[in-house]
Amino acid sequence: MNKWTRNLLYMLLIVVITGCQDQHILERQGFTQTMSYDLAPEEQVEVTLSVPKADPKSITDREVLTTVASGSKEARIKLSRQSDLQLVSGQLRNVLFGLSLAKQGLAEFTDTLVRDPAIGPHLKLIIVNGHAGQILQKNFSQHPRTGKYIDKLMEKEENDNSVPRTTLLSFVRDYYDDGIDPVAPMIKSLGSSLTTDGIALFKDDKFIAKINSEDALIFAFLRGSLRQGEISLKLEKEAGHADNNESRLRQEIVMLSSIISSRKVKVSNCQNNHCQIDIHLNIEGSVLEYIGNLKLSIPTDRKQLERRMSTDITSKAEKLINYIQKRSVDSLGLGQYVRNSMSFAAWNSLDWKTEYPQIKVNCKVEVIVKNYGKMQ
Amino acid sequence: MQEKLSKFHTAILIYMTQSGIVVFSIPQMEAKYFGTNGWLILLPIFLLCSFNIFLISSVYRLGKGRSIFDILETSIPKALLIPLYCGLSALWTMIGCLVAKQYMLIFQMLAFPTTNPMIFKAVFDVLALLLLTKGIYNIGKASTIFFGLVIWLSFLLIYFFSDFEWVRITPFVLKGGHDSLNGFLQIYSAFLGYELSLLLFPYVNKNTRLPLAIQSGLMITTINYAAVSLISFGFFGYAMLAETFLPVIDLLAYIELPFVERLENLFYTFVLFSTIITFVMYVWAANESLQRVIPKVPVKWSAVFLIVAAFIVAFIPDVMSQVQSWLHFLTYIEIAVSFGLPLLLIVIILLSSTRKAHTHE
Repeated sequence: MNKWTRNLLYMLLIVVITGCQDQHILERQGFTQTMSYDLAPEEQVEVTLSVPKADPKSITDREVLTTVASGSKEARIKLSRQSDLQLVSGQLRNVLFGLSLAKQGLAEFTDTLVRDPAIGPHLKLIIVNGHAGQILQKNFSQHPRTGKYIDKLMEKEENDNSVPRTTLLSFVRDYYDDGIDPVAPMIKSLGSSLTTDGIALFKDDKFIAKINSEDALIFAFLRGSLRQGEISLKLEKEAGHADNNESRLRQEIVMLSSIISSRKVKVSNCQNNHCQIDIHLNIEGSVLEYIGNLKLSIPTDRKQLERRMSTDITSKAEKLINYIQKRSVDSLGLGQYVRNSMSFAAWNSLDWKTEYPQIKVNCKVEVIVKNYGKMQ
Repeated sequence: MQEKLSKFHTAILIYMTQSGIVVFSIPQMEAKYFGTNGWLILLPIFLLCSFNIFLISSVYRLGKGRSIFDILETSIPKALLIPLYCGLSALWTMIGCLVAKQYMLIFQMLAFPTTNPMIFKAVFDVLALLLLTKGIYNIGKASTIFFGLVIWLSFLLIYFFSDFEWVRITPFVLKGGHDSLNGFLQIYSAFLGYELSLLLFPYVNKNTRLPLAIQSGLMITTINYAAVSLISFGFFGYAMLAETFLPVIDLLAYIELPFVERLENLFYTFVLFSTIITFVMYVWAANESLQRVIPKVPVKWSAVFLIVAAFIVAFIPDVMSQVQSWLHFLTYIEIAVSFGLPLLLIVIILLSSTRKAHTHE
């Protein structure tokens, strides 16, 4: 054996023997995909895990484990004792929190999750209107394996902007930021299936209130820019227009699709801790359904429709802002803009949490109909 | 004719010596110690480093390219210099050793939680020794190749533009931080590495334009740090940044491709290249210094001695916080050396030239 071959063999040996340490044999791993936390008596927490099984001989396609413990890592040790697999969290995609636990605060759980290097920042946080563990334990026969079902459902709903995309990172980031409060999507069980159930609003890490699914898109407009979504509006007929035609319709219905919206926030008159905030929304979309008397191919009619849609969305947005403000949660991140409009000392002296409900917030919406489908 | 380091290779070598795993924690240090827009502190640090490089360049110019050891030995008796050489050698070996150990500990935390990091350290040291024994020219060339393998990571920052928000940056300049002096020194230590250019004098010539090369290396480092920091502030917001141990690892973990995600372990291994250059350069500097004490021992054997010593020392601090506190302490000394040594050399050169002038009179 010459010198080169021998050296090459040594190098190969070094490369190969590194695999002898920290072995992770696929069949012996339990890749936790979904996890849930619920409040249990005596300040304990009920933790449920759903672990998909790779073993083709297994009767079930997943393993569901549940336990009650005083902390999430203790629960993990207890759960590990129940399983023949080595539980790992590298594939953890969704974490569900029961509503009662969310009301008490999630900081200690998000802290544990964000601290673990095995857990990725894209982990989705979901609030269950009810008991999270029960949802995770249940098999929904018409749908894929429960963990996967929740994952796909949330993915789709997030893409449509029906619920906000809340990841571990975005939740923790908003929690730390003094100018915005976190939000998270909510789901509930309908018996044989699951459905999204609006948006959970948090004050720091505690659940305070929820927004209904119907207002989810308006909330999404107000929280930031978006590139996908559709909204159906029922427009009250304007006086004068109402019975000119022989229409039997009391309301006009319009559906705006392929929405692209952008938000601008302006803070003014910040004196003596009283600010005025103007939110300007620019919403563009295609009208793919319109039931009413206007002719969309006529520019004046189209302008009229745009104006009425703007008025409708404005009033809904203002109601929503009012609702959020009354609950003292800054879910729209208005504090970030107020903070950035003043000096550091002024911001620190301002008690934003107390001041926020009294702030005057105006909303101006501009709707632009990009096109109105294939028909004139 | 003896080979000389080129301008390009020198600039890259300086950059590679400076950069390393510290890039993963620099935004956190800025946020913790300087608060909002803490990344702005990079500018005064850059200016201070530039001043330090000016001092080093002055030594180079005034000493007419002579080795710093030759300059020292012209005026100070060797017996007095031996403790200094030994001290410098120990300092540089220890810094190199701890930087490598820190890399290994983070690697262990991310990828191999129960593996003894000293196994990686042993393999790492073998690689370093192989590179070290090839001499400074080859280290320079290898660092250029390694640079190519590492620098593309900076372009990953483009991925975060969509999640970057100016509103998180805030208009406040350096508010909300604490313990700024300590923070300043810690961030300054992320720029260390350029001071080793003091030892490059015998290996460069006029064409190298050493001052310009060092300054270019520093420039790349600063731009890199500034880009990473700015993106981190707009991505995390300063409050979360101050609480995150290694924010840039979290940034890398955020990258998701359609076919693969959680790439931070893979990306992290690429940083091995700049860590190995940092380690090799510090041990090389230590060896240069040690050679003055034991000139009869072959360079290779003194290198082996230093690497083995570094390996043994690396056993002692086995907790991340311990490594960090050792490293902070040593880098503070190194900052003093980076200013003190060139100043001492300038004084010696000026004194000896006045003495010469007097004898001529």
